[in-house]
Amino acid sequence: MKKVITVKICLGTTCFVMGAAKLQEKLKSVLEKYGDSVDVKPVNCLNICANTDTQYAKAPYVMVDNDIISEATVEKIINKIEKGY
Amino acid sequence: MFIDIDCIQKRKNKEHTCGDYFISKRYPEISRLIAVLSDGLGSGIKAHILSCMTATMMAKFIEAGKDIKKASEIIMESLPICQIRKISYSTFSAIDCNEDGSVKIVEEGNPSFIWIHNSQIIEPEYVTVSSKKFTDRKVQVYNITLEENDRLIFCSDGITQSGLGTQKFKLGLRRQGLADIVTNVLKIAPTISSRDLSRHIISEALKCEEDLLPKDDMSAMCLFFRNPRQALVFTGPPYHNQRDNFYANIFKDFKGKKAICGGTTANLISRELNIPIENGKILASGSLPPMSYMKGVDLVTEGILTLTRAYEYLEQDEPVTNDDPAGRLTDFLLNSDCITFMIGAKINQAHYDPNLPIEIEIRKNIMKKIGHILETRYIKKVIFQYM
Ligand code: FES
Repeated sequence: MKKVITVKICLGTTCFVMGAAKLQEKLKSVLEKYGDSVDVKPVNCLNICANTDTQYAKAPYVMVDNDIISEATVEKIINKIEKGY
Repeated sequence: MFIDIDCIQKRKNKEHTCGDYFISKRYPEISRLIAVLSDGLGSGIKAHILSCMTATMMAKFIEAGKDIKKASEIIMESLPICQIRKISYSTFSAIDCNEDGSVKIVEEGNPSFIWIHNSQIIEPEYVTVSSKKFTDRKVQVYNITLEENDRLIFCSDGITQSGLGTQKFKLGLRRQGLADIVTNVLKIAPTISSRDLSRHIISEALKCEEDLLPKDDMSAMCLFFRNPRQALVFTGPPYHNQRDNFYANIFKDFKGKKAICGGTTANLISRELNIPIENGKILASGSLPPMSYMKGVDLVTEGILTLTRAYEYLEQDEPVTNDDPAGRLTDFLLNSDCITFMIGAKINQAHYDPNLPIEIEIRKNIMKKIGHILETRYIKKVIFQYM
């Protein structure tokens, strides 16, 4: 069985106003081609934003499996899924 | 007991202002509620000012502890008489009621109220007091005691006279017609809220008119004496996280409907009470983050953005109950009588980052605004608890 990649889009307050809303709309259609092998789900605040000394630059945050993507864009997410970086 | 009160008004066709005036105030500390419905002579702005004056004076008198009978006498003495029509300027119904069921009512000129007890209409006794100066001015004073599930219906004559002169209602709907409307709907919906009942009365009264347009200002004010519907809104993480568990348990033990507003807050309750969060497969559409679901919790939404929007909905003339998370929250609040807000004081610094494209309200402020409008405009009982 193929491994399923989980994409968690943070829809917490900070990420939402920083563009997660638009991101998730775009992402939905872009990720369709992966079918069941990519599982996209919205999640509550990942608590990264609240961390003021965070090493991660900026919202919106997305998690692809266990990796955090900051200032997430569709391209960054696709890259992560395809190439693992 | 809780006094569920509401008043819906419809202004006379082609007028910009309603000539009837409704005012109501709750005093939670002393379990008391005062309400006045006044109908100013004529219609439009003049009537509005007259009824507003009467209602406000009346409410102030009662509030100040003046005996309701005495207060109405003073108003009767002081209100002028219309030069042309030689009748008094405005009519009123004033209610002073306690949550133990004792109610004092004074009526001058308005159609007499309808009291429904055990699906029966009761005609209570009253005392008539007439003005010393103007013999045509008389008030009826009632002292009654309500029991659980009793209702009182008040209206302006725009309701009882609707349809006047039409084929079907030559003499208008009249008090009996109104009583029939109410008893019929109570057969189908015995627990209907005062808000919905008032709305129903208005729409039925409009149906008496052939063109469905109001020929006079219409007000329907309903009072429902019942067990309070308790609700709890838990929003924001407590200031000290050692207290998370303590507050989560208060949330768990609360008897009534419960809502969580805030993703981090939901995570906290989920962790402390071991209830998983279901985020649903459907992604958000529109301008608010989506709802989530937790067993035993009636509503789980995002925090500040949803609260801010709900406040905007509450501020509109007719509160919007859109099918978005803020609309659901508005509904949740309006369908409760006593609302406890548990407000966490922890602040998420990221919300005040100047780089954010929109300004995010401070939780405590938005909660204060919501609490205030619920208390004043929607006559709810509101309790704040800061954590
Ligand atoms: S809102 Fe996304 S990490 Fe806090």
